[in-house]
Amino acid sequence: MIKIKKSEFSEFIKNLQKNYSVFAPVTDGKATAFKKIKSADDINNKILNTKRSPKEIFFPQSEVLFQYTERGMEVPKREEKPFAIWGMRNCDTKSLLMLDNVFGEAHQMPKKDMYKDPYWKEKYDNCLVFNLACNEPLSTCFCNWFGGGPFDKTGSDIFVVETDDSYIFEAVSDKGKKFLKEFKTAEEISDKEIKKIEKLKETAESYLAEKQDVSSLFSKTKEIWDEPIWDEIAAKCVNCGACAFVCPTCHCFDVSDEGKGNKGKRIRLWDSCMFAIFTKEASGHNPRSQSTQRVRQRVMHKYNYFMDNYDEHLCTGCGRCVVVCPVNLDIREVIKKILDYKK
Amino acid sequence: MKNTYIPFQMKVKKIYTESPDRTLKTFDLSYINEEDKFDFLPGQFCEFSILGKGESPFGIASSPTEEDILKFTVNRTGSVTNEIHYLQEGDIVGIRGPLGNWYPVEKFKGQDVVIIGGGFAFTTLRSLLVYMLENRKDYGKITVIYGARNPDLFIYKDEIKEWEKRDDLTLHLTIDNPVKGWNKLTGFVPTVTKEVSFDPTSWCVVCGPPIMIKYTLPVLTEIGFPDEKIYTSLERRMKCGIGKCGRCNIGSKYICIDGPVFSYEEIKKIPEAL
Ligand SMILES: Cc1cc2nc3c(=O)[nH]c(=O)nc-3n(C[C@H](O)[C@H](O)[C@H](O)COP(=O)(O)OP(=O)(O)OC[C@H]3O[C@@H](n4cnc5c(N)ncnc54)[C@H](O)[C@@H]3O)c2cc1C
Ligand code: SF4
Ligand code: SF4
Ligand code: FES
Repeated sequence: MIKIKKSEFSEFIKNLQKNYSVFAPVTDGKATAFKKIKSADDINNKILNTKRSPKEIFFPQSEVLFQYTERGMEVPKREEKPFAIWGMRNCDTKSLLMLDNVFGEAHQMPKKDMYKDPYWKEKYDNCLVFNLACNEPLSTCFCNWFGGGPFDKTGSDIFVVETDDSYIFEAVSDKGKKFLKEFKTAEEISDKEIKKIEKLKETAESYLAEKQDVSSLFSKTKEIWDEPIWDEIAAKCVNCGACAFVCPTCHCFDVSDEGKGNKGKRIRLWDSCMFAIFTKEASGHNPRSQSTQRVRQRVMHKYNYFMDNYDEHLCTGCGRCVVVCPVNLDIREVIKKILDYKK
Repeated sequence: MKNTYIPFQMKVKKIYTESPDRTLKTFDLSYINEEDKFDFLPGQFCEFSILGKGESPFGIASSPTEEDILKFTVNRTGSVTNEIHYLQEGDIVGIRGPLGNWYPVEKFKGQDVVIIGGGFAFTTLRSLLVYMLENRKDYGKITVIYGARNPDLFIYKDEIKEWEKRDDLTLHLTIDNPVKGWNKLTGFVPTVTKEVSFDPTSWCVVCGPPIMIKYTLPVLTEIGFPDEKIYTSLERRMKCGIGKCGRCNIGSKYICIDGPVFSYEEIKKIPEAL
């Protein structure tokens, strides 16, 4: 492990920018999000959990798949520098691994190259993720339910702990090791500092609410698929889709064309299974016309279907949906209700 | 890395108007570039693009043995299908495919096969039937039940006439309600399926509107077909066709990559399938 002094942070970011396009948490009016930064001055390291999730770095809300003219189709050129993301939290680094499953070859067997999403892969495969430990988790954080934690390193290339005067770096992946090796200006850390990290970790974990055992969530969701509990869960939901838009793991999208005559583009846009039109077929038939069916779909996808394909829940417990929901439909309460439900 | 979102171009070679009300048209597309030619099996589908208007999934109606073309039959029902119906011979369209899985033709080898279809969903069943007829000696008895609302709404009418002449194929045509001059069967597909007798040791493929599938599958069980020998093709709204956009997700399956072809055995395990 090595460290840099906080006073050296600006210089560090500047150096990083030589080889990378750097994204970091910034305050943008009332909202907070990951944005491409100009300098370290833009970064707000106090933001624990940006309102919009960093999935948009790799999977933007709208993305041009290709442009077309009478001469043919063309994929827009990407910027040539790879991405470095500073200040991602564990609940977000984990979400990237989940999305990489989907945007990779998916669960399809045998694995086929044609199932890879080149737009995601191009950005994600070369990126460098700096995962900043959460010294003071929020009341809405429940990453510990799903095996994550404020000091968990899953999905990061370089794990970073902020102390009073420094940033301490630990290489996690090969990519991270390679980066730190070339990093000459930093100093090694002392035993005292290792103890300091331990202490910070303990304090951070004490902030989190009690861990809920979710080991039976998979079987339980399957059992109750047909039960009236879903009407109760969905009663409040107004199907606004905000939960899906802020969620770091929701990945549904729509594809639509914009153009006139021979010129135009094909675009993909975030979409959500919360919207009635999502499944409405041309014939008028809609397999999920009821709000209850759609709420069930979201919950089942997260806590059952995804598990079936990838052995984990499609939720990192980041709590964004809890914060954003206009009718206070708290996903933690939903999970508890499901776990407690007796047929 | 292959970019599966980018369609390749094909030329509209021939257009057939299938029904007098012009809601059903068939399009034979020819390849512009030899290297775009792909291998596929009956049951797979493609995304058909009209640039600027969008794309829609359609089952491939041609057989892999018809090497120079891809055939699609399109029911005019919304924005993209309308545009497709405006196409003229010689126009250029975009195609992505082949997508999805296929009817298990490997398992059908040496076996009897029953094909049950309803309405314009006979598309991939035509692919299957033509494919088996081209490789006729590989298969046992072939029986087809094909139903449409009225005689006008059968697709591939000229080919049906040819199929009726063959002695290595049993064809039962049925319409929903009696019509003057119709001397074949009358009644809904599930009912006719019950009446026509066949050997439940065959394999069975069912494709049609959701309601037909829903009522036909239990009839097959009644006749004695085991679930794992009944196959059907499911339909859901789609966009990407490659398991990303989430639109066609039911249970832990994605119809675009795990399907569209599923056995009845699999379907019984998928919530919301029927
Ligand atoms: C695997 C598969 C095979 C199919 N094969 C055929 C076929 O051989 N012949 C045929 O006529 N139809 C077929 N369909 C249905 C056909 O895709 C829809 O009727 C068509 O997409 C409607 O498009 P639209 O733009 O005219 O309708 P709109 O209502 O304007 O729909 C807008 C868009 O939503 C999507 N969409 C809407 N309804 C459906 C639907 N039922 N299925 C999938 N996507 C939909 C499409 O992207 C469509 O462009 C098939 C569907 C699937 C999933
Ligand atoms: S469902 Fe809610 S808590 Fe879970 S990852 Fe998505 S936004 Fe975060
Ligand atoms: S959910 Fe966990 S990882 Fe995410 S911000 Fe809160 S404490 Fe950090
Ligand atoms: S059509 Fe996009 S996941 Fe199936």
